[in-house]
Amino acid sequence: MDFPENNDIRLALEQAEAEHRLATATLPDRLCEDWRFGRPHKHAAAMAELAESADNAGTVTVEGADDALCEPDDDARDSVKLMQSIGSDKFLALQLAHFGKGVVLFLERSYKEPITITYETEGTFLPTTQIVAVAGAKARIIERHICRGEKAAILCTRTIMAAEGAELSVELHEEGSGASRAMNITNITADGAAVRHLTTHSNHAWAREETVAEIMGAKGTDVQLYSANRLGAAQVLDQHTRQRHTSGGSTSNLLYKNVVDDKATAVFAGNIYVSPGAHDTDAYQSNRNMMLSEDATIHSLPGLEILADHVRCSHGSASAPMDEEQLFYLLSRGIPRHTAQLLVAEGFLGDVTSRFSPAEQD
Amino acid sequence: MADLPFQPDTRGEFSFPENHKYDAGYGLTEATIDYICDAKGEPDWLRRFRKDALKKFHELPMPYHWAPEGIRDVDFDQIRYYLSHGVPPRKSWDDVPDDVKRTFERLGVPEQERAFLAGVDAQYDSETAYNNMREELSKQGVIFVNSTEGLKEHEDVFRPWFGKVIPVGDNKFSALNHAAFSGGSFIYVPKGVKLKQPLQAYFRINSESMGQFERTLIIADEGAELMYMEGCTAPKFDSATLHSGVVELVALKGAKIQYVTVQNWATNVYNLVIQRGLAMEDAEIRWIDCNLGSKLTMKYPAVVLQGRRARGEVVSISLAHDGQDQDTGARMIHAAPETTSNIVAKSISIGKGRASYRGEVNVLKGMKGCRNNTECDALLISAESRTDTYPAITVNGNSCAVQHEASVSQVDEEMLFYMQQRGLTRAQAMSLAVNGFINDLVNEFPMEYSVELRRLIDLEMEDSIG
Amino acid sequence: MSLIIKDLCARVKDGADILKGINLEIPKGEVHAIMGPNGSGKSTLSKVLCGHPDYEVTGGSAELDGQDLLSMSVDERSRAGLFLAFQHPVEVPGVTNANFLRAALQARMPEGETVDAVAFYKTLRAKMKQLGMDTKFTARAVNEGFSGGEKKRNDILQMLMLEPSYAILDETDSGLDVDALRIVSEGVNAMRAPFRSFMVITHYKRLLDYIRPDVVHVLYQGRIVRTAGFELVDHIEEKGFDFLKD
Repeated sequence: MDFPENNDIRLALEQAEAEHRLATATLPDRLCEDWRFGRPHKHAAAMAELAESADNAGTVTVEGADDALCEPDDDARDSVKLMQSIGSDKFLALQLAHFGKGVVLFLERSYKEPITITYETEGTFLPTTQIVAVAGAKARIIERHICRGEKAAILCTRTIMAAEGAELSVELHEEGSGASRAMNITNITADGAAVRHLTTHSNHAWAREETVAEIMGAKGTDVQLYSANRLGAAQVLDQHTRQRHTSGGSTSNLLYKNVVDDKATAVFAGNIYVSPGAHDTDAYQSNRNMMLSEDATIHSLPGLEILADHVRCSHGSASAPMDEEQLFYLLSRGIPRHTAQLLVAEGFLGDVTSRFSPAEQD
Repeated sequence: MADLPFQPDTRGEFSFPENHKYDAGYGLTEATIDYICDAKGEPDWLRRFRKDALKKFHELPMPYHWAPEGIRDVDFDQIRYYLSHGVPPRKSWDDVPDDVKRTFERLGVPEQERAFLAGVDAQYDSETAYNNMREELSKQGVIFVNSTEGLKEHEDVFRPWFGKVIPVGDNKFSALNHAAFSGGSFIYVPKGVKLKQPLQAYFRINSESMGQFERTLIIADEGAELMYMEGCTAPKFDSATLHSGVVELVALKGAKIQYVTVQNWATNVYNLVIQRGLAMEDAEIRWIDCNLGSKLTMKYPAVVLQGRRARGEVVSISLAHDGQDQDTGARMIHAAPETTSNIVAKSISIGKGRASYRGEVNVLKGMKGCRNNTECDALLISAESRTDTYPAITVNGNSCAVQHEASVSQVDEEMLFYMQQRGLTRAQAMSLAVNGFINDLVNEFPMEYSVELRRLIDLEMEDSIG
Repeated sequence: MSLIIKDLCARVKDGADILKGINLEIPKGEVHAIMGPNGSGKSTLSKVLCGHPDYEVTGGSAELDGQDLLSMSVDERSRAGLFLAFQHPVEVPGVTNANFLRAALQARMPEGETVDAVAFYKTLRAKMKQLGMDTKFTARAVNEGFSGGEKKRNDILQMLMLEPSYAILDETDSGLDVDALRIVSEGVNAMRAPFRSFMVITHYKRLLDYIRPDVVHVLYQGRIVRTAGFELVDHIEEKGFDFLKD
């Protein structure tokens, strides 16, 4: 039984703690390694300003998971408190200060049909998503963030926890209004589980993704991180990932692809960390960029930190124009240049997204 | 980092009585600079230049986006910034002081290589103790002198490029070098002259807390070609010493410069070297680099590809054993169209050693048709070793191709077993495997260096596996 | 109506001259074989006709049914009826065969009309069956991960679907085993018609035994040096190209 007075005290304490955290967390500046090439003085400041004065107005829609759906409660708040950001603790603090909107899914069985979560806003929305898959649970979750209108922004913290034998496929699709901003801080914890994660971003003026995957548990733990993005206009996409292997025998794989057109900029900074003793780890990381215009810019920082033995790790980064031979092949079949370019670019990204669509029928 | 335990390295652990006529004492102030300028009899412009650099040195922060943690342990007040015998550069081997000769002997410079030392600019502490230019070189118009002489006697040749490739304010350590430099080589190769023999220099540090700030500037005029080889090794002392050199290369139109370094400092040396080359149209600069010693090495040879079709290359081997942090890499700045660059880096971490690759490839806006290819491979020898890779790639535009591949692996146990079954010890088998790993890169080094390199790797493997 | 090539000269961009004055006329309804030793310019000729950006035309002309071929872009040439079955078909990651073919057919439709999906798949399945291809290939990316033989077959499938009026087969026989060669040849033969012609580039008689040419040309050092009937194929098969050196 709840005592109202105690709840009030508890709420007040939470509030005080959130305020303290907000006051002490600093905004990333140019010295912050995790915001290198991210122009924090411009983008972090703008996002923080929006979040500080957020109306936190937005709609939350969930389909296909009635038996698993919970409200963001104190436990969910506690797990946000423990989240790891990549240089953005200030934004975790901002999220905690506005905590209360979002979705908690507690998955205890296998779901045949995909579960969809949709956040939609015209203002500044700070929802939180928490997905917990107990041992043996299986689900496909499609999360869409939709920003409408000139000033819309979304700041979302996401935790995905999968216990032994669980299988999760989680997609995050960011859809902007052209002028909107989006920031997602995602923590994935896979303990003996298999988690596949995909992000796509389209039409945000600025978007930042921080995805930290904690890969623990022995053999069979497998985390796969994917992203496919098409950038145009003067859009900026700033993506940061960490694959942290904290015990041996696990595997992870990352493939982030961008098609960069017009005056757009893509930043990818990834890191594979294999902690001491996490022997027999297999980890891969690949960033591929297709450059379509003279004013397109990419920054690619694929990093490795290996402190264990018997590790197989590799990373690669490649940035190149559209392949002329491929283009010629399409042209030689009578496909007009513009269509051909579109097809090749779609194919480049489709290589990633098709891994998340149910088996294609001909 | 400061209290990281590391195995004392007994090889090369020796020192000789210090006998310095000039000693600027500890720390770096305006007075230190006046002392250096007076001792060297430098012109006023250089004194002002050094003092401006000192100001910058105090203003600039420690590097942030581009530095391992270990660098914070450097205590600038515990360094002596200038020491000299006060003897002018020698012209023949006979004039070289006996204790210097003895040092070369201990360092294992083989007897037959003494002959090689003709034509060698060897640095003893801050001043060049041996500087014998071959007659053949001067006949071809080649200038090969130390930095002091270069700026005094050939100001018209060297001053226009001095501090142009690596400006004073580039970073804290370039400012430090600009303020305190002494020693190093200044070389000018005239138009069209292609040197067949490599130019060589040996450097060493031989005073406790002795900071060494050598300064090298090499200018290859249009169509000229040269190879410069620099081998470093140093005796061991109790407290860390700082080595912060600056090497500037200028390859004018169609020129080729190859700069070869084999570094084997004692394991208490901070080796923070800035190496950068400027390659003009159709020019080529290659850095061939091997880092074996030191406590912390920070070294990222760079090529600024300034002219159309310029080429840059870095070939790098590093080996980190207990207590060592080899933070090496490469930088390629594509500042002209159709420029190409190539980076091949291999590192080996032994025991508790840490080897890192830190790289930058930057294709500036509007530079069409540029290509870069980077490969870095790391080999981990034990469960406690560590390796890191931190590349930063920036590409602008839709006509350039930049590719980076890196891998981390171990010596294949099956392969070791196979070799052991054939009668090799584990250390021998490991040594063969490691030599195999870097074989293609070792071949890039001149013969006498590659033989020495293989021998050093054998020793490392014996020590670590035994 | 025919493909008429006059004094065609071309070189690798900023490089060596490869074609040094090609003269060739292929009337509608005929099959012409082009033979010749390695490096004589056979593949270059096929690529130049299609407008590959690696080559530049330095002289001469090429007309397709009276239209100036050389002034057209790559895709315009294709839509004008020219088809090249590549010696090394290109892999196009992520673009499915079905989408690719639909885009190519769509490009041939008058404005405002779209490809009828049902009819498209029906035709596609039939043609695939004709070539002995698994229909699962439709959902796979173009040539990606295909074996050499599968790629060649896929190129012929495209030819069957796009129904060109002039088809160039550039060493289509290489990489095909005997059965595949027969199936592919049958596919080509089924397309032979009075309104269609073929240029078959090959080193070997075995393909020409299946696709019987009307005329045989020998290309050597960038020029057509011999033109004759099928007897020339037998002669080359027996004696090689040594006779060219005389």
